[in-house]
Amino acid sequence: MAEGGADLHQMDPEAFREHVRSFQFWLDAVEGYLEGTEYGHQPDTPEAILEPLERDRLITVLCNYCMGETAALEGAGGLIAIAPNRATKVFLATQTVDEGRHLEVLVHRLRELGVAEPELEIDRRASPKLKSFKIRLHEFVHGRDWEAALFAQNVILEAMEFAVFHRHARTADPRTREILEGIIKDERRHIGFGENELGRRLRGNGDVRERLREVRRELDPLVLGCFEETLASVGTPSDERVDLSRSYVQAVERLGFA
Amino acid sequence: MSAGDPLTAPQDEGPRRRFELDDRGFDEVPRKYRKYYRRWQGPDDELAPNEVLCPVCKVVVRSARELRVGDRIYCMACMTRMRIVRDDQGRLVGECEY
Repeated sequence: MAEGGADLHQMDPEAFREHVRSFQFWLDAVEGYLEGTEYGHQPDTPEAILEPLERDRLITVLCNYCMGETAALEGAGGLIAIAPNRATKVFLATQTVDEGRHLEVLVHRLRELGVAEPELEIDRRASPKLKSFKIRLHEFVHGRDWEAALFAQNVILEAMEFAVFHRHARTADPRTREILEGIIKDERRHIGFGENELGRRLRGNGDVRERLREVRRELDPLVLGCFEETLASVGTPSDERVDLSRSYVQAVERLGFA
Repeated sequence: MSAGDPLTAPQDEGPRRRFELDDRGFDEVPRKYRKYYRRWQGPDDELAPNEVLCPVCKVVVRSARELRVGDRIYCMACMTRMRIVRDDQGRLVGECEY
């Protein structure tokens, strides 16, 4: 490890990968930005006064986020059983904790906004495309298809959330913004893990690459459709929506799916 | 500073410049590693000779020495290992190594 005067960038690659996937690393990392928060925001962050239409739109957006986080929670938890080695299982355990926290703070935010029965509201308002995506992700997990499940969850879903939350945080009310900023910090680890793990597996493996190409063809319309709907709901101009979907496109291009 | 500035222009020969890293408040990695990272301020953010943008998570990765082609660096925020290369405009960029 890069203790004392040692240079982090001189670390052995295997030692680096082992370290950043550990629970100890996760604990030391999240302490920096979650300490002192309550349900994802500082206790004294004021509640914004929202117009009824604005509040209603925010509730719909948060219901979609909750559906996405539920998919990710169940997906990450399910992936532990089929992960290929200990370090990967441990990382997915940390991701499962992250996803559970995200779902909890978002549901709590719905309650703060006056939603009495969040579960019913999430089911009623969440996008059908997102529900279809969740079903497909779980089919990959239950079918023990490690590559397809990881691609769907840690590349496609996480890249979409990362871009959408980033954009939404710029214009959100203070409490929602703090919650989203905390989630974004977790998402960096998840997208990096997915891209790195798949990148290693795809090296010289044409069959896996071709299969994931098909998965992408199937899931792209669902993901980009959700993207479009959610970004429109948070008031993102259409030309900016194209820019935001680019981060997802760049991730899949780096993996060789141009 | 402009791209042609001798203080910021990348060099591939001669002794490497050293940089004192300070904590810029990047709170997403354990405290002892924070000095190696800072937040990217967008397209107008001029990177120093010891800095490169992580292509995966868009965090600025910093090194205690001037970066050169072939160097390996790590982004701890997204757990990515990168190799320094030159892009088609001659800039030093990080390329993911899986």
